[in-house]
Amino acid sequence: MSFLKSLDAAASGLSAQRLRMDVISQNISNINTTRTENGQPYRRKIVLFEDRNQNKPFYKYLSENAKSKISDTQGVRVSRIVEDPSPFKRVYEPGHPDADEDGYVNMPNVDLVTEMINMISASRAYEANVTSVNTIKSMALKALEIGK
Amino acid sequence: MLTKLFSNLSITEKALDASWLRNEVIADNISNVDTPGYKRKEVKFEEFLQKSMSDSGIKGFKTDARHFDIGNTDSKNVKDLPIKVVVDNSNSSVRLDGNNVDIENEMATMAKNYIKYNVLIQNINSGFSMIKSVINEGR
Repeated sequence: MSFLKSLDAAASGLSAQRLRMDVISQNISNINTTRTENGQPYRRKIVLFEDRNQNKPFYKYLSENAKSKISDTQGVRVSRIVEDPSPFKRVYEPGHPDADEDGYVNMPNVDLVTEMINMISASRAYEANVTSVNTIKSMALKALEIGK
Repeated sequence: MLTKLFSNLSITEKALDASWLRNEVIADNISNVDTPGYKRKEVKFEEFLQKSMSDSGIKGFKTDARHFDIGNTDSKNVKDLPIKVVVDNSNSSVRLDGNNVDIENEMATMAKNYIKYNVLIQNINSGFSMIKSVINEGR
């Protein structure tokens, strides 16, 4: 269905932002997790976005230039979810079971303020994509009125 | 005969195509609003239309079909007008991630494009209703 591929682009934006939102809420919910599967405190996760148009074979560029049209795949995709390598927060809490010999506990490198701001950004981007879905939809419906 | 009848509509048709493609490109830009390094795309059509309408420059005289076109090719065929998607590589971006999508601009362009599309649809419909009126002898 190539005439509605702009809907696919908007939908890919929606799902990418939703995934970002999921990861942000995972970060927030694990803000105090000092022990994970690997024995380390929780590390903050980051979602990496990538243009779906990237990484296409060379011949595609040639054929596209000839037609000077936009390619079949548009939109965004999540390329990877990576861990934030920044250092853990050290908190002095000698009674904590995960405290080291000096009494310090490694807390996750999640910053609540950053996560909240990213959440607002994801939610606004989601709304923008919803608007674009609605516009595309009403344009397609309008086209059905030709010749009525 | 029939092609003459619809010749006024073909330019609207082409403009509708351009408008639809522009909408696709804007949707693409909006979905990539947070993609690092993404450069926004835009559709160029009105420029070409303007140029083909106002072009009255020098035209090369061809004595053989294999000659190159010189100057204004002037095919007068609306269907041959190009609709191009260009990548805006301008460094107007102040964002650190190299992305130059301005979401407000995209939303405004999308709204503008939506209205324009509706206008064109209305235009094409009024064209059809005129033809219908003629076929029905104005009844």
